[in-house]
Amino acid sequence: MKNIDSNTHVRGESIYVDDIPPRQGTLYACVFDSKVAHGHIEALDVSKAEAHPDVVKVVTYKDIPGINEIGGIIKDEPLLAEKEVHFQGMPIAMVLATSEHSAHEAVKRIEATIKAHHPIVDPREAHAKGELIIPSRTFRLGDSENAWDECAYIVEGSAESAGQEHLYLETQGAYAYPTENGSIRISSSTQGPTQVQRTVGAVLGLPMHKIEVDVTRLGGGFGGKEDQASAWATFVALGVYLTGKPVKYILDRMEDMRMTGKRNPYVSDFKIGLSNDYKIIAYQAEYFQNAGAAADLSPAIMERTLFHSTNSYFVPNVTVQAHSCRTNIPPNTAFRGFGGPQAMFVIEAAITKAAEEIGVPASVIQKANLLKEKDKFPYGQPAGGNEAVDSWVRAEEKYDIKALRAEIDAFNQSNQLYKKGLAFMPICFGISFTKTDMNQARALIHIYSDGSIGISTGAVEMGQGVNTKMVQVAAHYLGVDPSRIKIETTNTTRVANTSPSAASATADLNGKATGIACNALVKRLTGAARKKLGLSEQAVITIKDEFIHVDGQQTELGWEALVQFAFLERIALTENGHYATPTIHFDKEKEKGHPFAYHVYGTAITCVTVDCVRGRYEFDYVKIAHDFGSSMNKIVDLGQTEGGLVQGIGWMTMEELMYNKEGRLLTNALSTYKIPDIYAVPKEIEVDFLESDKENMAIFKSKAVGEPPLMYGIGAYFAIRDAVKAFNPQAEPPFSAPFTPEKVLMGLYDGKANNVESVPVGAVKAKG
Amino acid sequence: MATFDLTINGEKKQVDVDPKTPLLWVLRDHLNLVGTKYGCGIAACGACTVHIDGTAMRSCVFPISEVGDNTVTTIEGLSEKGDHPVQKAWLQHDVPQCGYCQAGQIMSASALLKDNPNPDDKAIDTAMNGNICRCGTYTRIKAAIKTAAKNS
Repeated sequence: MKNIDSNTHVRGESIYVDDIPPRQGTLYACVFDSKVAHGHIEALDVSKAEAHPDVVKVVTYKDIPGINEIGGIIKDEPLLAEKEVHFQGMPIAMVLATSEHSAHEAVKRIEATIKAHHPIVDPREAHAKGELIIPSRTFRLGDSENAWDECAYIVEGSAESAGQEHLYLETQGAYAYPTENGSIRISSSTQGPTQVQRTVGAVLGLPMHKIEVDVTRLGGGFGGKEDQASAWATFVALGVYLTGKPVKYILDRMEDMRMTGKRNPYVSDFKIGLSNDYKIIAYQAEYFQNAGAAADLSPAIMERTLFHSTNSYFVPNVTVQAHSCRTNIPPNTAFRGFGGPQAMFVIEAAITKAAEEIGVPASVIQKANLLKEKDKFPYGQPAGGNEAVDSWVRAEEKYDIKALRAEIDAFNQSNQLYKKGLAFMPICFGISFTKTDMNQARALIHIYSDGSIGISTGAVEMGQGVNTKMVQVAAHYLGVDPSRIKIETTNTTRVANTSPSAASATADLNGKATGIACNALVKRLTGAARKKLGLSEQAVITIKDEFIHVDGQQTELGWEALVQFAFLERIALTENGHYATPTIHFDKEKEKGHPFAYHVYGTAITCVTVDCVRGRYEFDYVKIAHDFGSSMNKIVDLGQTEGGLVQGIGWMTMEELMYNKEGRLLTNALSTYKIPDIYAVPKEIEVDFLESDKENMAIFKSKAVGEPPLMYGIGAYFAIRDAVKAFNPQAEPPFSAPFTPEKVLMGLYDGKANNVESVPVGAVKAKG
Repeated sequence: MATFDLTINGEKKQVDVDPKTPLLWVLRDHLNLVGTKYGCGIAACGACTVHIDGTAMRSCVFPISEVGDNTVTTIEGLSEKGDHPVQKAWLQHDVPQCGYCQAGQIMSASALLKDNPNPDDKAIDTAMNGNICRCGTYTRIKAAIKTAAKNS
């Protein structure tokens, strides 16, 4: 089924928050934020801003009626700074003015005197000083300390991966207006409507039922609007509370980049030990997560790092420890993969370093250690039914790896200044929120008396196609044409206490809840049909293709007639379905359990051509065998796979997020922060659907697809490294992502700087 | 403030705004044509692309005072029924994910096909490289442009 939103998207008719027509008297908010990363506010002068003719009010923490606190997991993040500032971009005051332009003008008139303290930007420094968000955690399997003696090869090293700006094309924003009896309605660009509702309620000192949050769709989220949409919605709600007027705030791009958190950067140390036949005997890693100035979601992200520390491999002896380090950059947050990619980069670096030292291709070690049927993950969950080996073998066979390698070898032998590199990237990603209680969802279905259907769920549409999948689920269970079904906005008054649309689990959770609600409605409707048709209790009644079927035979009773009959019979045509993922559990004391409903697997083969004079590169192909389970929508799922891959390649190659040592974001606009454009996409992306009938807990056995493909992008790093080594076998570039052309160039001439001048520039065109 | 007479999507419009106001905000805030999006404000993302006298331009940095007599076409005016060959190809390939950048993508693609009815990969890359899509729909964008070229 095609994406139900495509029609309005291609006509420019889809509505995002900033497209809602403003109400009369709307005020515009703009935040004054700290220019100092760590310091003490000695004085704050807002008088010149207040004197601006268009300014209605300047808001500081003193105006907050409830608690000045927006932290989700830990209460460590004020909405507005009181005495201390902890990052550049930390909100200190908010201007409310009658125009957007005036609000921005007035903010420039605010003066803050801030006594600067030493800012920490390096997570290792934070760790050394004991600046931790939560106590460090360790996952263990076997006994790695005593396993080193068994190893024929032991390799140690470090790896670091930079952060990643979400760069959702639609910036953060919200629009709120007052409703009766002191209530407030907020249109928010958020992945977590309930999180917005809860945060606004706490800051305003109002019960949640007075706060209505409505979401039509997002112009991209990628995790950046899971928790971090809450602040902006809270600002406008606070403005409504204080003025009684509608208030709107849509961040401009530089505000968004400066004030919001990103993917957590990590620096990590690893030690890996292998047997003579390349089996990984032991693996240790220590992760220093750069959390930024507040917890945000970093503790949960750190947990997922530990869960994914061994990627798709079985390692009998594992000790992995993670530290969530408090620094003076904006609080980092969820980003597609949620700590998993950071962990997977480290073990891939460890394997690659071992392979380079031993003198075998990394793929030999990778393949020798893939999860088998009876293996367990370090956290105790069995890896039964896994597709690690299957997807690898499928990729090798389907794409003829021998031919691919021969082609690359031939190219590299006949080209001096261009080299090709290849990497395998297997992935394994656990599906479920690792916080077990978040794995629940609800769906509210109305069948109207004319037979049309409206469905509300907790799912937020942000491009992942979840609304299309909800239509498919309901059409299947109700036996009606998809055109009868409308997916309503996501609204906290219709579906309460929702989990955010995150963790790739949205379609599963909300789809299962939708299915449960549909089944209850079908039971009542078939009961009505039994009465209408005068059938016995033994007759098997089903609804299919818009008609009632009895014992498999279609009757003349159609959907609309049945609905009208049921309505007149006073049968409830509304149902609320509730789903909670069964089986899953996790014991944080023991760090063992069964946290995931299932895992998603796959293998990518990435080939790159590196220009060995300039350090530039382009990707020839990425060929993937991906475990979709039994895909319910190949159009949507393929789009997610391609898009996730491209985002992962961006993180590994060109997206270089930089802060200076004062904690100032240097890459603060699209002119200095580069994300993949049409040139950056691999020339060929091939995706093989590894269809499987195996039982799993996904909706229609169609496995979650939002996050896993991003991790295929890690293969980009290792393919480039392979090409660099083909040019300069002595090169030992640090495992530092992104592998920008500058770093590639350094690697190409690592240890042979004297040769640079001898490169025959005239031969550069000899590519091919 | 100054008065400007504009021809937008074939209709005469008059606005009274600061001459420095970018065309994007005239479209969005004064004419309620919100299909054209803000993405970066520095002509680096392409979300605000419109046609000025048939050429793809970034409306976020195009001052209203520079429009003059040139006609302006936005996504709302690209076709009467949303059936421009590019729009049809976009639907056929199910290009959009979140959708936010797609009006800009479609405006750039339709301008390309007007100048070059049969673009090769290189021409597509050159014309489209200023339009970024964070969902990463580029593979389908390329395919859809080729389909639109065939059907134009």
